[in-house]
Amino acid sequence: MEDEQSLITDAHRALIGVKSAPVTVTVKEEDARRMCEVLGDSDPRWAAGTGMAPPYVIAAFGGRPSRNMPFILPNGLLTQQEWKVSRPFRIGESLQAVSYVFDIRERLGGRYGHSILLTTSTDYLDAEGHLVGSALTTLTQFDPKRATGGKDE
Amino acid sequence: MSQKYWEDVNIDDALDAVEKMPTTDLAIDFFGRDNPTNPAFSDIEAGKRLGVGGALVPGMLKIAWMTQYVNDWAGPASHLASIRVAYRRPDVADRALTLSGRVVDKRSEGDKKIVELEVVTIAEGQPSVRGNVAVELPSRP
Repeated sequence: MEDEQSLITDAHRALIGVKSAPVTVTVKEEDARRMCEVLGDSDPRWAAGTGMAPPYVIAAFGGRPSRNMPFILPNGLLTQQEWKVSRPFRIGESLQAVSYVFDIRERLGGRYGHSILLTTSTDYLDAEGHLVGSALTTLTQFDPKRATGGKDE
Repeated sequence: MSQKYWEDVNIDDALDAVEKMPTTDLAIDFFGRDNPTNPAFSDIEAGKRLGVGGALVPGMLKIAWMTQYVNDWAGPASHLASIRVAYRRPDVADRALTLSGRVVDKRSEGDKKIVELEVVTIAEGQPSVRGNVAVELPSRP
């Protein structure tokens, strides 16, 4: 068996829990309308004029923060995701997005060979500081030269 | 679109299966043609470089479909509180996905009536995404 050394350093671990500076994102009507149309979503809650956006508009905010996010291996695939929604998103509202690294793990073997599982979280806060929603994302980073292509399960 | 009421939902209730066709155009349009996305969502060769057999179906598109699927089942007076998914296998564009689901739990938390569902996407007979969704339902008036 090949001797595998950890690719995760103390510098990577030190990033866990460190919150980014807030970034303003806006719930845009054009994003909500486009996504509803693409999905064929006729839910009356998100119809034009209601002022509400579907929960998946969170995908338009940029679900994975690029800052504070270590890229240890060259390729990445989204492998886990969680959205939490406290209340509906309102068209036109500005939210403060605060991101941090939630966890960094590594895995030996499997479809992607020696891989890094990087989980990041982004909280979206309204003008009163209330949590409107959050997105937790796990990106599996891998080196295609070391991936086996086998089944993951 | 009908409304589900908490009292009328039972554990093991199954949702009607729905088929979706994830095309590359759909993937690009979902994010917006002017917005940068992963080249593998539209480029077969870029997908193959990731070890996928063609253009990659965005995970965000699949979780959005699952969100819509549960909202359609639950009705307009519901509130989808959370969705958590594991992308078990990459999906390749232009191959049909079937969404199915079932109720796995119902509970009260304070004055909230919560139903939890398992939702899965099936591609070529194999599950590709597995998800758990918590949705708040109203009580029957």
